[in-house]
Amino acid sequence: MARLSIISILSVVILCASATAEAQTLDISSGGQPTITGATGGSVTGSSSLLNDLTVTINFGEISPANTNSIVYVVVPIGIRSTQAYQVTVTVIGPSNANAQALQPADVGFGVNNMQAMGSKSNVCTNSSHIFYSPFNNDPSSSVTIGANGRATYPSSLSNISGSTVILSGPVLTKTGQASRRTDNGYVFNAMFAITPQFFAAGTSSATLTFTISAGPNVLC
Amino acid sequence: MKLSRRVIAHALGLATLLFVAAIVSVGQTTTGTVSMSATVSKFVEINSGGAVTLSGNSGGGVTTDGVANNPLAVSINLGELGPSNSNSFVTASVPLKLRSNAAYVLSMNATVTSTGTTSNKIGAADVGFGLGSVTRSGTGVNTAGTDTNATSGDPTLAANGSVNGASGRYEFTAVKSNLSAFSSSTTALNGAFIMNAVPKSNTNGLTVPAIFAIKPQFFENGSTTISVTFTVTAP
Repeated sequence: MARLSIISILSVVILCASATAEAQTLDISSGGQPTITGATGGSVTGSSSLLNDLTVTINFGEISPANTNSIVYVVVPIGIRSTQAYQVTVTVIGPSNANAQALQPADVGFGVNNMQAMGSKSNVCTNSSHIFYSPFNNDPSSSVTIGANGRATYPSSLSNISGSTVILSGPVLTKTGQASRRTDNGYVFNAMFAITPQFFAAGTSSATLTFTISAGPNVLC
Repeated sequence: MKLSRRVIAHALGLATLLFVAAIVSVGQTTTGTVSMSATVSKFVEINSGGAVTLSGNSGGGVTTDGVANNPLAVSINLGELGPSNSNSFVTASVPLKLRSNAAYVLSMNATVTSTGTTSNKIGAADVGFGLGSVTRSGTGVNTAGTDTNATSGDPTLAANGSVNGASGRYEFTAVKSNLSAFSSSTTALNGAFIMNAVPKSNTNGLTVPAIFAIKPQFFENGSTTISVTFTVTAP
């Protein structure tokens, strides 16, 4: 009876340990203070701490020609940690406007770049690199062009997101055995959003992006 | 039995540690969200559509000309308007350029002030007015949009005026064909949204000439000042 109890307790302990280890394999967080430029009546809120969750709210403000700036530009730093090869995917809901002259997903430029180590516990791999996936590997604010219809276009935008779309993958990010949330044990990259003020049809628009880190292609470190 | 209790105690201790570790790791997550919103307000603007055309004048000239895509601030000296000017009309055509992301209304308000003291001085009814052909063209312009011109067009057209048989004075008789119809802010033109979703740097838009005309006559001598203000709104 005593032996049976011991076995049961040890089983529970092993299960707990297993669950704990699993929970610490991957992490996504704020990568620093988000910034906004070129806005009229706009703002961005989010935590400057790498220890906090990634929860950012962007208000682009006025994007009609009443905003005389050439572009409204937002940079959102994102922190990631992993003890295994990883990938980052993104999904989007909105913006949804039936009027073609209103803001459409293609009117919101979206790109990612600038992978940087957090600190001494960031893992530096020599056999594989961190890959930003095309077409998102650009800064949308620096590559605005005018289409044949006169509308501003970007190398990549929210319209390029289809379902769960991979934007980044790479080898192990974290040196320590666990991807616990610290300020020095992962990487930070920038997600950039840009809207050119235009003669959009009047109204309000909204969208929500969800970034997810998960196990990625099995690459060598 | 003692061994069993020790093992159980150690196991519980370990479980507690793992529980604490799990709590520490609660801050971790595999997803993050970015929510965004934006606002587009109704936007309208009026600018100069280009240089003024002055014809039939004797003396005078364009003092401050219009420059396309710049604020409308034109000044014109119509010159001599007495019978010594033998032209049938002195006409000034002022190009306007309108742009909007919503249905618009162009209104006009005019004042006419003369130094004379009799009814023979130049009055608002002596200044013919009308909007010419409306043009929507160029990349980014809503060319399918329609416009309603509340004026009667070029005031010098024969259909828009004639000599009054009783008084002998030339009169602009058509609907909204002279400035007396615009003594308060009055709609001259309205229509559908003008611009598709293009940046403001796109300089295309809706252009329309505002045409002013005066028939030289035996007006009472003196000087006259005509002030016209155009306003575009998106109701």
